[in-house]
Amino acid sequence: MKFSFTHDQRLFAEGLRDLLSKQCTPTHVREVWENQTGHLPDLWSRLTEMGVLSMLVPESQGGMGGTLIDAVLLFQELGRAAVPGPVLEHMAVAAPALAHSQWAPALNDGTTIATLWVDTGPYVAHAQVANLVLRNEAVITGFSSTDVHGIDGGRQLFTISGGSESAASAQVFGLPASDVMALASAAYLIGVSESMIEVAAEYARQREQFGKPIGSFQAVKHLMSDALLKVEFAKAPTYRAAWSASTGSPTALRDISMAKALASEAAYRASRSTMQVHGGIGYTWEADLQLWMKKSWALMRAYGDATYHRRRVGASVLHG
Amino acid sequence: MDLNETAQESAFRSEARTWLEANVPTSALPSFDTAEGFALHRKWEQKLYDGGWSAVSWPVEYGGRDADYIMWLIFEEEYYRSGAPGRVNQNGIFLLGPTIMEVGTQEQKAKFLPSMASSEIVWAQAWSEPNAGSDMASIRSKATRDGDEWVLNGQKIWASRAVWADWCFGIFRTDPTAERHRGLTFILCPLDLPGITVRPIAQLDGDTGFAEIFFDDVRVPVANTLGEENKGWAVAMATAGFERGVSLRSPARFTEAVKRLIHLWKTYGDPTDTALFDAVADAWMQAEGYRLHTYQTVTGMLEGRTIGAEASLNKIFWSEMDVRIHEIALQILGPEAERMEGPSQRWVDGFLFSLSGPIYAGTNEIQRNIIADRVLQLPKGM
Repeated sequence: MKFSFTHDQRLFAEGLRDLLSKQCTPTHVREVWENQTGHLPDLWSRLTEMGVLSMLVPESQGGMGGTLIDAVLLFQELGRAAVPGPVLEHMAVAAPALAHSQWAPALNDGTTIATLWVDTGPYVAHAQVANLVLRNEAVITGFSSTDVHGIDGGRQLFTISGGSESAASAQVFGLPASDVMALASAAYLIGVSESMIEVAAEYARQREQFGKPIGSFQAVKHLMSDALLKVEFAKAPTYRAAWSASTGSPTALRDISMAKALASEAAYRASRSTMQVHGGIGYTWEADLQLWMKKSWALMRAYGDATYHRRRVGASVLHG
Repeated sequence: MDLNETAQESAFRSEARTWLEANVPTSALPSFDTAEGFALHRKWEQKLYDGGWSAVSWPVEYGGRDADYIMWLIFEEEYYRSGAPGRVNQNGIFLLGPTIMEVGTQEQKAKFLPSMASSEIVWAQAWSEPNAGSDMASIRSKATRDGDEWVLNGQKIWASRAVWADWCFGIFRTDPTAERHRGLTFILCPLDLPGITVRPIAQLDGDTGFAEIFFDDVRVPVANTLGEENKGWAVAMATAGFERGVSLRSPARFTEAVKRLIHLWKTYGDPTDTALFDAVADAWMQAEGYRLHTYQTVTGMLEGRTIGAEASLNKIFWSEMDVRIHEIALQILGPEAERMEGPSQRWVDGFLFSLSGPIYAGTNEIQRNIIADRVLQLPKGM
């Protein structure tokens, strides 16, 4: 038994972190929120070049041939930077699911941008930047979209209508799209939570009240420690879920649900505690914290919330 | 990443299971915090030792099997699965033992480790004092040098197992001019020496699991110093790290408790109560999450990483989880949960014991401070 990532897996994740620290700063994310474009075209090109978007596409089909174990740290890095746009949807589901279809070349080189319509919700995130929507057994193109005003400016929500459908599979490694997205979101939420905690810790080191940094007060320390605790204990279950999903384990769906439930709750706790540590500034549009908070509030509900997933775990372990 | 067991690990598991199934007492032993129970637990430890199972992660020369941390976790899973007795010498085998291996002299290793593995000597810990609880650095018990001997004076409290144990380990102030965590020395001391008075303290459950120890001109050889003189704090912190980290509360304890909880829910739980269903499912996730987290931690240790302040995260997690598991069980038991016997006995006992978890080995509030200071790098307070 060996519960760790390889040197190469870590190195790739570090490379992605490095790229995102330059090309996906809070300023970049905020631009997307404000210009309503839904994503960062330059970053999209760089993610394509680096092989992030085709990580799960087989090598024979022009991809990186990675597994969900290879991808899970990348999802987490994407979350740390609150990357806007349909990166998860494209990378985790559409590109690998359509790897043997006519769309594969354009999905791999990023010229076609895909998003998903999963059965856990009526809305299609990122529809305005996508040329292709994958839904159940169909690919939809040429649709029109209506903004339904999602809370997260980096993950705008739409309903879609019209367009033409053609048959396709939305399975990845034998798993339904919604489950692969639950796993990807769990890892992404861990990254989101890590960033919120880092941002709030830095604020607590700087901000002074009563003549001392607020981070020296136990009430603040304990809020922060409890937030970190939930995030740290969501990690191993999320990595295990990636392993189960990659190896065709019979417990893959249970393990994904456990990850999504824990990561969703950890992210919510982190959002509440870190906003509280920020005080008044945490309640402003100006504070960057909201870029991650709203991402956590969006993704903790998407692809099944904590209650939905906890009940699925319960159905497996209590009735089994 | 490969979460399947290797052939060697599976073989080890089945060897442990076979031995335990053949040797675990068929009925539960009395509490080891009673005279009779203590003696029976010591006997059980000797049986474990004879089978080579008392300290599997220790080197063979000291009575272990050189098992790596993964195999140790596998052994623990089998141990709890078998319903074997609690480990009366856990202060020795899991806390002091690894510390002696890390900082002890060859003589100390040869003298103390084999008798610890066989539980010929059962160890108590003697760290806290009436005025040094969470604030352990304000220790006042002192050791004064007289030739080749230390002369110990002072008072220790909350000394687990001290009522029946043979030896204790603790830290004493050896440099009276030094303050706080400086000038302390880690000393090993027999509990039957002249000048020692052990006064049992009844715990919340009525058993005398801990005690006060009074030292009145107690003489021990200087050779009983563990680590360097006046550097006892660092030695104690290493021991505390083992305690908070992976060794004292192995995940199997909780995964087994949750299996029993699920059984209890199936037997007595209202199946239409969705809040209860969610609570039991959540307890399963907590225990499973702790198990996975531990496997990840020990893989890291095998790959050369050390466990630092992260150990404080573990301590908070398992202690709060333990309370939660028992709260849910008592909720399922309803009116039965008021009784100290019958179907609720084990759960009520367990609930009382679980309440000590957030307090001992450093309160969870102290752990939160440690995490904030050392993991999150927040400014020191107070």
